[in-house]
Order: sequence, then C-alpha cells, then structure tokens
Amino acid sequence: MTGLPILDITGLSKSYGAIRAVDGVDLQVHRGEICGLIGPNGSGKSTFFDCTSGLARPNAGSVKLDGQDITGWSLNRIAREGRMLRSFQKTVTFGALDIEENLVIAGQMFTFPSVASTFGFGARSRARVDGLRQRARELIRLSGLWDVRTQPAGNLSGGQQKLIQFASMLMPEPKLILLDEPMAGINPKLIERVVEAIRYANEQLGVSFLVIEHNIDVITSICQRVAVLDQGRKLAEGTPAEIMRNQAVREAYLGG
Amino acid sequence: MSLNESSLPLPGRDLRLPFGLAVVVLACCAPLLLGNYALHAVIISLIFLLPAHGLNLLVGYTGLLSLAQAAFFGVGAYVSALMAVHWGTPFYVNLFGAGLVAGVLALPLGIPALRLRSTSFVMCTLGFVIIGQAVAKNWISLTRGDMGLSAIPKPYFALGPASFAVSGTVGFYYLVLAIAALATFVVWLIVTSPAGRNMVAIRENETLAESVGVPTWRYKLVVFMISATFAGFGGSVYAHYLTVVSPLTFQMSNSTLMLIIVLGGGPGTISGVVFGSLLFVGLSEALRIAPELRMVAYGFCLLALVFWFPKGFAPLITRFWTMLRGRS
Repeated sequence: MTGLPILDITGLSKSYGAIRAVDGVDLQVHRGEICGLIGPNGSGKSTFFDCTSGLARPNAGSVKLDGQDITGWSLNRIAREGRMLRSFQKTVTFGALDIEENLVIAGQMFTFPSVASTFGFGARSRARVDGLRQRARELIRLSGLWDVRTQPAGNLSGGQQKLIQFASMLMPEPKLILLDEPMAGINPKLIERVVEAIRYANEQLGVSFLVIEHNIDVITSICQRVAVLDQGRKLAEGTPAEIMRNQAVREAYLGG
Repeated sequence: MSLNESSLPLPGRDLRLPFGLAVVVLACCAPLLLGNYALHAVIISLIFLLPAHGLNLLVGYTGLLSLAQAAFFGVGAYVSALMAVHWGTPFYVNLFGAGLVAGVLALPLGIPALRLRSTSFVMCTLGFVIIGQAVAKNWISLTRGDMGLSAIPKPYFALGPASFAVSGTVGFYYLVLAIAALATFVVWLIVTSPAGRNMVAIRENETLAESVGVPTWRYKLVVFMISATFAGFGGSVYAHYLTVVSPLTFQMSNSTLMLIIVLGGGPGTISGVVFGSLLFVGLSEALRIAPELRMVAYGFCLLALVFWFPKGFAPLITRFWTMLRGRS
C-alpha cells in the first residue's frame, strides 16, 4: 500500500435544504484495498456514494481518483474516463436483454473513441466487440450464470441479477468499484458467491473496493478497514476489530 | 471449456435468404400486381415509413415517447416545397435540404424538451406540432397560409446536362421504394451498432446506462435529431408526391398515425415498423371506400389491436423470424 490512495475524498458535504446529509467527510481508499462504509440508516452513506460517483453534485469538498480531481464530473464520465464504477442499492439490470448483452453494454463505451467505431464500422471495431463478447462469456461462466445466459436478465432472481450487475462492473477493467449494499435482499447461499466474486476481483484483477453494507459478518470478513458514518459525519475509522470495540459506534447503532 | 458451449443443433433450415428474396421480388413486381389505387396506398405507406423509422429509433430503441414527428414532417414538406417552387432545385437537393433543416431544428427544440420527464416530454413535443401548424397558417408571406403551396414539381433529377423527371404512380413507386429501402438499411446500421446497443440501454434503464459510461444526454439529443431528419425526408417525399402542401401537413393525426405504426407494428423492431406502416396506412387508405365510417372503423380496428395484440405485432414478428431462422 504505497503511493497515492486510489480514492481521496476531503471535506465532502451535501445538503438538501436545511438537512446536511453529508457534512465534511474525509475518506481514503488505498490501492488494492477493500474498505467498508457502515452506519445506521439515514447516516448519509448513500448520499456520500452519490456525490463520490457523480450521480449527485457535492456542495463542497473534493474527490480525487488516482490523483486526478474528478469533483463535479458526471456519472458517465467518471465511469468512462475514471474507470470507477458503482452499483445501486436496488438491483438493476437491462431487463429485456440477455446477460451477454448486459455485459457487452457495460464494457463497450470504454473502447469506442471515434464516431466510426461508435457505429461499428471497420474490422477493428468489430474485433473489439468480439473481444467484449469473449470477456463477457468468461465472466458469465465465472459467475455461474452460464445456464441462464440466454434468458432476459429481468426474468432472473434478485441474487442472480446482483451477480450480473457485479460482472458488468468488471467488464471495463475498473480501478475502483463502489458497492451499495451488495448483500441486501439476497439469500444466504448467494451471499457466499457474492463474497467470492468480490474476493476474486480484488485478488486476481486488482480492483479496489468501497463497500456499503449492513451485514456486519460480511464487512468483518472482507474489509481491511472500515469507516463509520453517523448523521453525515465520520464517527470512526479503523480495522473491523477496532470498530467493533468502539464505544461511540455502539452508541450510534443502539441510538444511545 | 464447458461441454454445453457448442451451439444447439438447428432443427430446421435457415429460410431467411429465400424469404428476403421473395420480399424483394414482390416489392419489385408490386406495380404489376396492384391496381393504381392500391399502389397509391403503398406509396403513402412507404412515405410514412420514413418518419416511423425515425420515431422507432426514439420510442422503440431509446424509450422516448414523442409526438413531434408531424412537426418535423411538416417542416420537411415545406422546406422541400419552398426550395422547389422558388429555386427550382432538383429533388435530391430538396430531399437533403428538408432532412437537414428538420434535423438541425430538432437541436434547439430538443435541448429544453429532453430535460423534461416522460409525460411532460410528450406534452412538449405535442406543442411543437401545434406551433408548426400555427406558423404554417400565419406566416402568409412565406407559406401562403391556408392556401398552402401548390404546383410543386414532380421529382426530377439533374446530373450535368441530362435530367429526367419521375412521373406517374409507377415511377414514383420505385423512387419511394428505393428511398425507403435505403432508410431501412440506415436504421439497421444504427440499431445493430455499438451506439444502437447504448440506445437500448437507455431505454431499459437510464441511470444504469449512465453508470456504465453511456453519455445519455448526448445520446438522447442525437437520436432526437436523427429521428427528426427521417421525418424531414418523409415530408419532402410527401410534398413532391402530392405536389401541394398545406398547414394540414402539421396535423396531429399525422403524429398519432406515426405512433400507431410504431407501437402497433412493434417498437424496437425494424420489420415490425415496415409491417406496421403497410398495415395501418394501407388500412386507413383502404377504408376510404366508406368515407363517413372511415375513422370509426379505423378506431375499432385499433381497439381490436389493443385487445388482441397489446404489445403490437412485435412478439409475432419475433416468433416469425425465429421460425425462419429454423429454430424452434
């Protein structure tokens, strides 16, 4: 863990009217790390994610990705040029399309710079699409979704759609992935598979993660470091074990 | 490597090529098979196919319901008519002029309109048609108001010293057929491209598309412009076919007809829209045998469609293509 942090957030703030949803939060994610972000409901985790990923504009503060200031960039630009991707709490896929098509869409923007290649003219751009298809099939097999690959993604179970979403985010060879409650609403058997998928991406593909999750067991098993938000502010930060022992965190969760 | 990776054996033969050839032969022989009036109906269908193709890109592929097609259709018709009457430019110049003006005009209209969400966007596009009609009626020095522009020459082509005019229903049929075929090919190029895939992504889920790097705003604007360009082409051909244009070109029912073609034929499919334009425009023309009952009968046909084919003919067409490909 040397050099610049992959994600460096300083003084991030966002208010909705009089409500300060996020209030001057600093957070760093180091290269190759899986960092957890926890906090009670309404503590500002999701707003924090939205401001970091470009879905919402922060009122103050800065977001640096790999040393580059990306504050105020749009969601699509951060994904395309910064290779930082995010998932959504409510699982979403391109429902009418099959899994392969879902993955190809997620992968393609990153390699189509010109108008000619946008419209798929020429052998080179066709080769690129073929490459994406190959990579998509590989990821489909790794996710254990090979048998259902021809079905419309919208017909599959919530857990399977989570896996599709996760595989989609791996398509463009991301540097950093923001996961918004990856375990919410899926059955325990699939939790194991999602954890495996995260570990695989982290160890084999070198992707760093920032994960919002309510499932404490998952957080303690995969994260090297955890930050706690409460009422829009960072309450604590440390290893999972330290956080578990922290009195202030316990009080925040128990409403003390 | 997994065992089930090899594709499934095909139970039947691939019949797409023979089917395609049959369609081509049928299209080329249509003047021999059809009477003059039926051929006229087919010509109108093929003219409406152009704005319908554009609308399909917008509604069927990108998921934006628009009623503005008649406005751009009207603009195309007037631009073409004015160019032909005042400058005497050949048909293909008018055609491109009409498409260009309609497409460029879509930019300042699209920028505010596309910021609106679903229903508001539909209302806004409806407004464009009404404004278009008002302008055509009241800018009398240019458009001659309700009298419209008449004596638009039949299409003629001038290449160097040689020139020839397309006259008669049969000649016009082949001209429109060529334009419609070309437009269909262009739409096919767009929707099967990486850009087409991104359009579908926007239709399926805009935020998700954005999150995987699709610049959705730019895409929607460009598709809106392309869609208007197609409508402009259609308007141009329409003006040259009827040889008159009036503010009625901007009527709301043109927009609804284009929408019926797309939604009824099969949004998000090319063959569905081709089928839809032949069916719905043909139906509308065929019902002219009973002018008093025409719109009533048309309404009942639409009701029947909604009840029996709530998703349009798209599912039927998909099944048909699967059958042709020889898979069960």
